[in-house]
Amino acid sequence: MGLGVLGIVFIIIAALYAVGVLQILTTETSGPHYKHAVLFAVLAVASFVAANFARPKTA
Amino acid sequence: MGLLQGASELFPVSSLGHAVLVPSLMHWSFKQSDPSFVPFLVLLHLGTATALLILYREQWVAIIRGFFTAAIRGQMKTDSERLSMLLLAGTIPAAVLGVFLESRIKSLFASPYEAAGFLIANGILMLGFEVLRRRAERRAALSGESRDEQEAHFTSAERISFRAAALVGACQALAFLPGISRSGITIGGGLLAGLRHEEAARFSFLLATPVILGAGILEVPQLFSKGVPVGEYLAAAGLSGIAAYASALPPALLQIGTA
Repeated sequence: MGLGVLGIVFIIIAALYAVGVLQILTTETSGPHYKHAVLFAVLAVASFVAANFARPKTA
Repeated sequence: MGLLQGASELFPVSSLGHAVLVPSLMHWSFKQSDPSFVPFLVLLHLGTATALLILYREQWVAIIRGFFTAAIRGQMKTDSERLSMLLLAGTIPAAVLGVFLESRIKSLFASPYEAAGFLIANGILMLGFEVLRRRAERRAALSGESRDEQEAHFTSAERISFRAAALVGACQALAFLPGISRSGITIGGGLLAGLRHEEAARFSFLLATPVILGAGILEVPQLFSKGVPVGEYLAAAGLSGIAAYASALPPALLQIGTA
């Protein structure tokens, strides 16, 4: 559950970097930051994969 | 530059450090501070990553298939599935640090003096790994174990823990410093994480590919601007790949440290 929520948070952060709203820890202070967006998209995928592993399995 | 990068990539001598240092030593017309320099270096690395992809093509097919199978199922049942997840865990530290410290890392590429300093640090690191290994060898010799028996105490890439994979991945992030060898530090990290020598080398080479491909996708498009000799750069990347492939072919390379 927690990892799934984390994945959604990462997707939101990725979207904010992609549209240029988020400028935290970036070299340029304006415009979209696609590298950061791609990184958070990858982290989101990793979180969803981890969430799927942590999900209780039916026998 | 292509031949230099390709030939040195798989050895623990830091191809990146040499790529920064050698043009200055030889008075070549490369400007390390030029915005296209880092994308050019990444393009050369793409050449070597392609060589690694070809060398390990069967493993990569199994790893990619294993990743999607395990991700959808939510369980790891085969070695390939586990290895794919370990590579993901090992890639994340370098990806995070690479993106967030990009400008600081790039500034280091402009200085051959700093690259020379990191090459010295790399030598000390390699010496440290060698000292640790010889100490372990002396201990093993005291207990009368053969090389194979010593190696049997250690494990394969598929069997290490996720924490150990992340540790080796964090070691890989150190190699963004020009002069610190990626293969050297990840093989050393793999040995400390409990891998057999040959498996540490295999895990190191497998771990290199996703980071280099990712950096390539993000950096190389910057080369397609006016005034950049893309054709020459692509030829250099091709030479880099050929040199890396040729240097990886001798089986002795895949058994670094076991001789």
